[in-house]
Amino acid sequence: MTAFVVRRLAGLVPVLFGVSLLIFFITRIIPGDPAIAMLGERGSEQTLERLREELGLNRPLFFDATGFRTSGRLVQLFDSQYFAYMKGLVRGDLGRSVFTRVDVSESLRKRFPATFELTLVAMFFAMVLGIPAGVWAALRRGTIVDTSVMLLALSGVSFPVFWLAIMLIYLFAVTLGWLPPSGRLDVSTQLQPLTGLYVLDGVLRGQWAASWDAIKHLILPGIALGTIPLAIVVRMTRSSMLEVLGQDYVRTARAKGLEERSVVNKHALRNALLPVVTVVGLSFGTLLSGAVLTETVFSWPGIGRWVFDAIAARDYPIIQGGVIFVALIFVLVNALVDFSYALIDPRIQYG
Amino acid sequence: MNRFSLLVGLFLLLAAGAVSAQSTLVFGQSGLPVSLDSADAQDGNSLLVARQITERLVDMAPGSSDLVAGLATSWSASKDSTVWTFSLRAGVNFHDGTPFNAEAVKFNFDRWNDPSHPYHLREEGKNYVPWSDFVFGGFLNEGSPLLEVRVVDDLTVEFHMDKPLGLFPNMLAAIYFQIDSPAAVMAAGADYGTPGVGSVGTGPFKFVEWREGELVSLERNDDYWGEVAASERLVIRGIQDPTARLAELRAGAIDIAIQLAPGDLPIVEGDPNLETALPDSELNVGYLSFHQGNPPFDNPLVREAVAYAIDRELIIDAFYEGLGTVAQDFLPPQMWGHSESAVARPYNPERAKVLLREAGFADGFDTELWFMPVSRPYFPSPEPIATAMATFLADVGINAELKTIDWATYLQQYRQGAFPMYMLGWNADYADPDNFLFTFFGPSAVDTQGWDDPQTRELLGFAREASDPVDRQELYAKVQTRVTEHVPRVPIAHNRSLTAIRTNVEGVIPSPVSPSEIPLHLVSKQ
Amino acid sequence: MREVRTHEKGQSLFQDALKRFFRNPTGLLGLAIISFFVIASLLAPILRPYDARRDRDLRARLNPPSAEHIFGTDELGRDLFVRVWHGGRISLRVGLTAVVLALVVGTFLGLVAGFFGGWLDMFVTWLVDILLAFPGILLAIAIVATLGPSLRNALIAISVTQIPIYVRITRAVTLSLRESEYVQAAHALGSRPGRIIFIHLLPNGLAPLIVQLTLSIGVAVLDVAALGFLGLGAQPPDPEWGVMIRDGFRQFLRAPWMSIFPGLAIFFSVVGFNLLGDAIRDVIDPRLKNV
Repeated sequence: MTAFVVRRLAGLVPVLFGVSLLIFFITRIIPGDPAIAMLGERGSEQTLERLREELGLNRPLFFDATGFRTSGRLVQLFDSQYFAYMKGLVRGDLGRSVFTRVDVSESLRKRFPATFELTLVAMFFAMVLGIPAGVWAALRRGTIVDTSVMLLALSGVSFPVFWLAIMLIYLFAVTLGWLPPSGRLDVSTQLQPLTGLYVLDGVLRGQWAASWDAIKHLILPGIALGTIPLAIVVRMTRSSMLEVLGQDYVRTARAKGLEERSVVNKHALRNALLPVVTVVGLSFGTLLSGAVLTETVFSWPGIGRWVFDAIAARDYPIIQGGVIFVALIFVLVNALVDFSYALIDPRIQYG
Repeated sequence: MNRFSLLVGLFLLLAAGAVSAQSTLVFGQSGLPVSLDSADAQDGNSLLVARQITERLVDMAPGSSDLVAGLATSWSASKDSTVWTFSLRAGVNFHDGTPFNAEAVKFNFDRWNDPSHPYHLREEGKNYVPWSDFVFGGFLNEGSPLLEVRVVDDLTVEFHMDKPLGLFPNMLAAIYFQIDSPAAVMAAGADYGTPGVGSVGTGPFKFVEWREGELVSLERNDDYWGEVAASERLVIRGIQDPTARLAELRAGAIDIAIQLAPGDLPIVEGDPNLETALPDSELNVGYLSFHQGNPPFDNPLVREAVAYAIDRELIIDAFYEGLGTVAQDFLPPQMWGHSESAVARPYNPERAKVLLREAGFADGFDTELWFMPVSRPYFPSPEPIATAMATFLADVGINAELKTIDWATYLQQYRQGAFPMYMLGWNADYADPDNFLFTFFGPSAVDTQGWDDPQTRELLGFAREASDPVDRQELYAKVQTRVTEHVPRVPIAHNRSLTAIRTNVEGVIPSPVSPSEIPLHLVSKQ
Repeated sequence: MREVRTHEKGQSLFQDALKRFFRNPTGLLGLAIISFFVIASLLAPILRPYDARRDRDLRARLNPPSAEHIFGTDELGRDLFVRVWHGGRISLRVGLTAVVLALVVGTFLGLVAGFFGGWLDMFVTWLVDILLAFPGILLAIAIVATLGPSLRNALIAISVTQIPIYVRITRAVTLSLRESEYVQAAHALGSRPGRIIFIHLLPNGLAPLIVQLTLSIGVAVLDVAALGFLGLGAQPPDPEWGVMIRDGFRQFLRAPWMSIFPGLAIFFSVVGFNLLGDAIRDVIDPRLKNV
């Protein structure tokens, strides 16, 4: 098992290296110039040139061959944008935003909880509704219940997320006024962040009202983001249940005359949930990026929206840091899912 | 499931006791600040917040572009306007308790102007672009007119210039030049103005907290020298989409929302809880520009045809909801120096077709029209406006493909002449025709539009140096006539940005210069 | 001999599959929805020619749905029914093209990697892993930002994000068959690699590829709309559904119909492809049923 874990994690290194290379490449060939983005419509050519110099944008991309030839020093060859960036990356220094001069790792630490909390709520929503619905459909296989649940689940993966988000705001926030249209907390709620997960922070600080306020703000974006995983969970639970219900031990349990309820809960469901949990784990990373659209519509201060805005503003350090961070979380979660699967299911060979 | 609903019930019960006793005013704009170091900031979102914390020597009266005393109580120039003397307000302290005095003023001007000043911090990323680019034209020994700031006594400062500068007080009234606490700047260095540090000034509000991506929180300065703020707490939220901003306002989550889409005016008017707060006028202009290096726009007949082809009345009617007016030339009508004789071409598609035929394009031609990816006060929704303009051009045979790209690239590429036709505009920094006409048609016109007209440039140069307002007015009138004749650009609209407030909010005074100039300490909430 | 037998078997399998498909009501519903969209799109230019570049009626702006304009009008006074109708042409065309492009490139890479193995395989796998490390739409956004926003670039970006799945499917099939008797036999008889790949390997991978293709179209249609919504896909005045929702979002307090109808159009077309995809999977590969 240890060998498997080590091998799996080692395999991530070349992938993450590739990601960093690709994202460096993409940010540098994107047309547009951060210096101009900073100065806006009013900058003079002279100031622009000075700024480019300061941002290191005038340095060569990969190798400074000219500098090497003229100075004769090998170090000079690596005095380039790419090696400066890699050096920072290895040291965990993601640089500072070109615009706000804020440390990117610092911002990531502050913004990630917002996206993480939203993602957790979306997954919670998906499982709380999805698992019972999937079990129900499986138990009523072939009936109208089954068909309806499956049709609804299929609809769930067919919604444009951003459209659903707009419709939810229009209906529940604007027309009915039941829930807030955007943001994480009402400004009259004063909560000193601790973990950055506001619902949890409210509980930890004993401010129940703040937690409740945070929950109200999470409902609409949580539903919008959770619809697709909900549909996936329903489908997965149903098929997994059907498979388990056909297994010998379930038939044996039934044959023994056990109550149907107990057969389902004790024997079938427990075993059927394993693949469901896997799918939920795997969709976690997808949710992180799905948050780009949801965060856009709900003005959610997370990383998805932040990276998207950075792309538009040519804020290289944020694009690089943000994308690598999301990719890292994504591949780590996937590896973690593999590990837990291997742990739980002894049939998996660690080869 | 049962346990869950129990939990929810518990929360509901406890939520009832959560009413905050403080009076909090919540302000909604399109984003959070980039920096609170005002001289290093250029965007309205930064400057609006900064101006509640820090103050200028020369201010503008609320709701007007008239100069009034700020941190300076009076000012006067030497006979040739090369030395300006400012008397400072006595008994004022920064929020950190250090005194506001002549030394503090000198510290700030030196850190902006002098690249060798220890707190200029150019290498660390401070730029002071408003100083070097929009207003004063360079740093010390690099084109700046300011040679030296001299402390005469504790409350008197002299500014020594290398040439006459009659507009100096007007320039200092530009929103950028706010005085920060020297102690705070020295303590934070290059991090001054960032979210972790904020800023320290003399203004009606003190910086408390800046939660990235979420809000900036300020509290009342009880020792303010002027009228103490009505609200104990001021929170600024950034909500990018104007309609989402309005939705928050309707829900009561914010009290004031600025720069709403004009299209939402009927919504504001139809909501009994909301009202509008509009300036009488606003100094801005939106236009359609050409790059004259690109045929066929090197031909004045073609440019003229474009001007005739677009029904600007109908566009203003449709997309500005009565807030905007058709632009006749490039100076807003309320700006002194605006000439009545420069009148834009009316909508006349037949005339446009004739001109195109004369220019040799009887069958029209294919081109591109670039529209801005962001909204600005002068073009509140660039995309539908561009779409409508393109349909008018199609009517006379000009087939303009609509294109856009992110704002950074847009600003880069129009300078390089990559766009045959593009939308852009201008908001005033200070109320003088120079701020519009010199920017558009001075030396920069050659780069930005490929329009090389020595006569216009000469007239603008004369107008800068002339001291008699009558002479200047005459020179600007000539510039406007010449520009109208040659159509290097087509003026489209002047607009007033839409600010809406909840009805329990009072004292919102929008400014004619910029939507960021709202003094929020005068605002009270019942 | 072998080929002929495969063929015969394929024929009967195909007939069998067709029979099963027509017994599947949800699959038929999907087919009906897709046919409706396809036929509507084909007929649009004949029944109601539309030139988006000239369409404008500024005096009829933001009219709610009525007998005259059953979906209402937008900011420029354009009839939304006509625009949604013509928008289908764009979404279907781009969705299908993006997926086919991904299929062709992905299958080629998968075959080559699986067949030749060695460093080539390692390289292709590495590339695929890198692409897969970008979750969801993030990669497409990055690509369009690089190439510049346009419908064509959105198509390319969506296509790239879909390549990995086809590489994986084809590579897996190729690996499992490479060592099989008949491929070994073909090798021994001196067949060229190209021949082996196209005659022996490709046909065996077809079933999972077709299933994936149908399901991918729905995803592609959603992605086209998402990029359009973010301003990175189709550009005005094209009546692309995502762009129309973007227009609608700007006015959603005043004219909700502007976003409702294009959204419903996306929803129904994607439902159609998903129903069809599910049914085809059940039919072609009963082992995968219910997943």
